[in-house]
Amino acid sequence: MGALQSSPGQPEYVDLKEKTGFSFSQIRVLHKRFKLLSHNGETLKRDHFNSIPDLACNPIRSQIIEAFFDRRNFRQNGEGPVDEIHFEEFLMVMSHFKAPSPRMIEERESVRREKLRFIFNMHDTDNDGTITLEEYRHVIDELLSLSEALEKDTAKSIADAAMLEVASTSMGHMEPDEFYEGITFEHFLKLLKGFEIELKMNVHFSMMDTPTFCK
Amino acid sequence: MELFFNPFDNLVCILLGISLTVWFTLLLVFIIVPAIFGVSFGIRRLYMKTLLKLFEWATLRIERGAKENNHHLHKPYSNAIIAKEPTSLEEEIKEIRRSGSNKDLDSASEFEMSDIFYFARRGVASIMDDEVTKRFSAEELESWNLLTRSNNNFHYISLRLTVLWGLGLVIRYSFLLPLRVTLAFTGVGLLVFLTCVIGLLPNGRLKNFLSEKVHLMCYRICVRALTAIITYHDSENKPKKGGICVANHTSPIDVIILASDGCYAMVGQIHGGLMGIIQRSMVKACPHIWFERSEVKDRHLVAKRLSDHLEVKTKLPILIFPEGTCINNTSVMMFKKGSFEIGGTVYPVAIKYDPRFGDAFWNSSKFGMVSYLLRMMSSWAIVCSVWYLPPMSREEDEDAVQFANRVKAAIARQGGLVDLLWDGGLKRGKVKETFKEEQQKLYSKMLVGTQEDRSRS
Repeated sequence: MGALQSSPGQPEYVDLKEKTGFSFSQIRVLHKRFKLLSHNGETLKRDHFNSIPDLACNPIRSQIIEAFFDRRNFRQNGEGPVDEIHFEEFLMVMSHFKAPSPRMIEERESVRREKLRFIFNMHDTDNDGTITLEEYRHVIDELLSLSEALEKDTAKSIADAAMLEVASTSMGHMEPDEFYEGITFEHFLKLLKGFEIELKMNVHFSMMDTPTFCK
Repeated sequence: MELFFNPFDNLVCILLGISLTVWFTLLLVFIIVPAIFGVSFGIRRLYMKTLLKLFEWATLRIERGAKENNHHLHKPYSNAIIAKEPTSLEEEIKEIRRSGSNKDLDSASEFEMSDIFYFARRGVASIMDDEVTKRFSAEELESWNLLTRSNNNFHYISLRLTVLWGLGLVIRYSFLLPLRVTLAFTGVGLLVFLTCVIGLLPNGRLKNFLSEKVHLMCYRICVRALTAIITYHDSENKPKKGGICVANHTSPIDVIILASDGCYAMVGQIHGGLMGIIQRSMVKACPHIWFERSEVKDRHLVAKRLSDHLEVKTKLPILIFPEGTCINNTSVMMFKKGSFEIGGTVYPVAIKYDPRFGDAFWNSSKFGMVSYLLRMMSSWAIVCSVWYLPPMSREEDEDAVQFANRVKAAIARQGGLVDLLWDGGLKRGKVKETFKEEQQKLYSKMLVGTQEDRSRS
């Protein structure tokens, strides 16, 4: 360890800043977090996420972890899962939860689409562009508890009801032998039209605090 | 014929002899004798004040240098990086649903597609920052304390700063480190030797008296070996015989810090090697509680031995660290309830290290014991505060877990640490599935709730 150890290269951060929209200090903080989670390694694997207790409490944790390893969320028009991710991909996925800056009001619609696309990808596990009944049922299953508070087939009935609603809203009146394949992204967008997801699906950075020393 | 020793060699020998004698005399007078009698010349405090001034100067230079060169200075985030919104699961989901303009809240269906936003957001927030994983690595500093191991901002700023850093390196490794290692060996050696000698005496008041003095003296030498500058607060609450002393755990040095101010019966597992020798000789002079590796697993055996010790009111207070593992001194984690079940008065103690002089946290996955001790001995100093809190006992309607949490909260409050419910064992293990089920239950209850409301109306 020489005396002239330098901080992480600034030029990389400039590139990342443009791609993701995070500020320098936010990128630095997230880089530190990345290093902490990966135990100073170059890449993160699924196992590293399992060491976060708060995440382990989350009912849909496996979907969230999968989202980090899903190429569709890397904004490179790729598809399919990967086994490990570098810091750039980590940041890309995180940027889906970035609060839109006030200057971006005009781009609000595209921000909305991005965030909703993230949630859509989380449901659509087989990458075929539609959320089928099975996939939706699976997600609801994860959210609900196995306790006696709900009846056994509640997940199934909730999923069925939801799909029915989607079908009727988007397809209008269906012929008796028409089969509703699944929710496409456009339908999904239409369903969640009213929700201000660009305001609700954000994680905010707080101001710095000074540490406390011995009294 | 050549002379065996030419005059020059003779001179060197004489000089060497003189300097060694002077060195050892100084050592004896300024360090060991005060340790024996428990007095202090105040040299260490003076040293601490000088160091502080130096660090402030160094930080100013770095900041000035950064401004001149237009570098962005990296300030560490020591607290949460995410703004916490203290709302419950139900409130947040309702809020998300409400923002969907085309649905009326009261007649909302039982389940909404938007409910998943809440869980997704919370999941990603916990990936960004959570309370637990950051406790298992060393804390970050705001100013630079001239140790390469703890700097993030150090580019080449100025010649003066680099010279100072180099000087610091030289002083620490060639002067302080050998001095401290000598003292450490002296302290440990004396401890082993004298406790063995005392062990030969018959049990009685003389033996206890001598053993107390010997333990205190050797621990004080060890304290000086680490250049530990300790401030004890509220000494009137010091643990008394027949009680249990409970403290937060940051490093093995905690033991030395507490034991140099009072006599305790230590609890622990018997190790092999040097540690084992020390443990075995200590127990000859005074009844510490050491367990074999196999006995540690048997909780009833452990509890019985501890309560047997407490029964005898003349025995020294037991020293226990209920967290079970080293935490980085920014928080207090779950206290294991075993120590709170055996009865007796509990004397809580809070230990807070000042990270500016040297980080005392032992990251056992990164450093072994020896490299950790070497790091400690080559830091500037170890500065800490110890608060003795008033004694607590378990109340009638409290169970062990509630009592443990009460003690933990008191310690966290006094030391300025964050009080966490999480188990320190998470450093090595995984979270149980039951926690995930808690969240699922909450959400399910909420859905059922709306179902019931609808059927009633």
